[in-house]
Amino acid sequence: MGNNKLNRRDFFSVGTGAAAAGLLGGRAGADKDETPPTSRVVLIRKSEVLDDEGKADPKVLHRMLNEGVAELLGETDAAAAWRQLFSPSDVVGIKSNVWSRLPTPAALEEALQFELERVGVAPENIAVDDRNVKSNPVFRRATSFINTRPLRTHDWSGLGTCIKNLITFTERYPDYHGDACAPLGSIWLRPEIKGKVRLNVLVMLTPQFHSTGPHSFSQEFVWPYGGLILGVDPVAVDATGARIIEAKRKLHFGDDRPISPPPHHIQVADTQYGLGISDPERIEVVRLGWKENTLI
Amino acid sequence: MMHCRLRIQSWLCCLLPVLLTACGAGPRPAAEDESVNLSIPDEVAGWHGAGDWEVYDTDTIYAYIDGQAEVYMAYGMVRCLSRRYSGPEGEPDIVLDLFEQASPADAFGVFTHDRDGEDVDVGQGGLFRNGWLSFWKGHWFGSVYIEGESEASKEAVLALGRAVADTITEVGEVPPLVAELPEEDLDPRSVRFLHTQEILNGVVYLGYENALRFGPDVDAVVGRYQRPDGGAWLLLVDYPDEAAAQMAEGGAIEAGIAVRRKGSRLAAVLAPEPQTAGDGLLADAIRGE
Repeated sequence: MGNNKLNRRDFFSVGTGAAAAGLLGGRAGADKDETPPTSRVVLIRKSEVLDDEGKADPKVLHRMLNEGVAELLGETDAAAAWRQLFSPSDVVGIKSNVWSRLPTPAALEEALQFELERVGVAPENIAVDDRNVKSNPVFRRATSFINTRPLRTHDWSGLGTCIKNLITFTERYPDYHGDACAPLGSIWLRPEIKGKVRLNVLVMLTPQFHSTGPHSFSQEFVWPYGGLILGVDPVAVDATGARIIEAKRKLHFGDDRPISPPPHHIQVADTQYGLGISDPERIEVVRLGWKENTLI
Repeated sequence: MMHCRLRIQSWLCCLLPVLLTACGAGPRPAAEDESVNLSIPDEVAGWHGAGDWEVYDTDTIYAYIDGQAEVYMAYGMVRCLSRRYSGPEGEPDIVLDLFEQASPADAFGVFTHDRDGEDVDVGQGGLFRNGWLSFWKGHWFGSVYIEGESEASKEAVLALGRAVADTITEVGEVPPLVAELPEEDLDPRSVRFLHTQEILNGVVYLGYENALRFGPDVDAVVGRYQRPDGGAWLLLVDYPDEAAAQMAEGGAIEAGIAVRRKGSRLAAVLAPEPQTAGDGLLADAIRGE
């Protein structure tokens, strides 16, 4: 275990206040308990969120986001859930992903901004960015982040995950490429990030389960899953997404073609950097909405 | 990262052969450069070159093909020439990328990185699958990608690939190490040529420790065998000298990898199922003294 492993108290600080309850499945504060901690994520799916071309309906997507956040935080009212996560005094960077083949949907970015403003966060204290987070003035003074991106396979890290999404905060990406990008979790321990990511939204609307060619993309290897995975714990969110991709690869290829290279940066983020929980046995996946072909 | 790509005006297309010969072809001898004479057609099967050629170097390539640049860099990428082709109304665009690699062996290596697809007669080896044609010839690895497949665009992709390959007069040699893999029970499609553990990790995951001492001056080939007693990957590695091979042998043994060495060449069995499946492979790969 690395020297920079977060202790359990640091771990709770990944979320803030009551939000931590959502992180550890209601066991927050159980320091003395010998039972291993658990994490809780919400998988919400709606078949009607996508049109025939795979484009998301903004209203349905917004509803999914709110239902998911409410469930994650144990609220019946989405507004109350958002207020658990953020306060009017926050400065919030929404870390998005602009990869041209499969970007974070603009409708999701807009829904997140809308909800932050509804909490009372000033518009000038909210920014959406990906490649320029290091120089973005809002990100530089941010008190908190929302981290969101679509899940896809990746030739170097196995999967492009929520954990990996913060790589644009670093100076040299290749520094994190060794051992199938195992060190990615260390990014989350940087002072400008540590403890500030309050919500992870892994976009599973049309996830990509296989990469091909220099542009890493073929329409054949995305499918209309119509989902979002939400969690305060990025490791649990990514581990759950990884299970869905593995299941889809088994269905599609019909033989044993695991994600390659293995996305073990997810597990390393748990075991070495203490960012969350990767063991599926210890992740409670709350399923909402469309149940057909959930795959896990 | 600043996106400081070079732009070649369309009118300069006719000068592309000159450009390729003159700038930054690395340490290649002039005699080899003379064989590079690309005059890539502006129109193929109804698809027309749209916009300028773009040239990406070893810095700017990361922004162009986010997440994939490392593959080409692992084979000594020199540059990537890229152009978009627009098709008839309602047809998808085609993206042509030509990667100049450090050597023909490296171009072959990149080609072996993804061996899915149907064989097509393009260059010195071509594969088509899911709207993507890959091929290699000489120092060059070519990629022709359709942004949404149609029957017409597939034909155009193959035509464009062939036209480009035909303009590359240089013929490369498949790395001789490839022929050193024992033929019996080898799945030819599984064969990969590589220099780095990161690339090998995409085939058989060995982890972070560089037990086999990979490096830029190391050539390796790996292939999958299925025999009656089980399956395994056989890796052959050529080191620059015997001392380097000896060091790698020690590292492999320490890591629990079954190896056999002769001079500067090492054979290793990876992921055998069952554990004994690779025993015969090692003996076949490197005969005893």
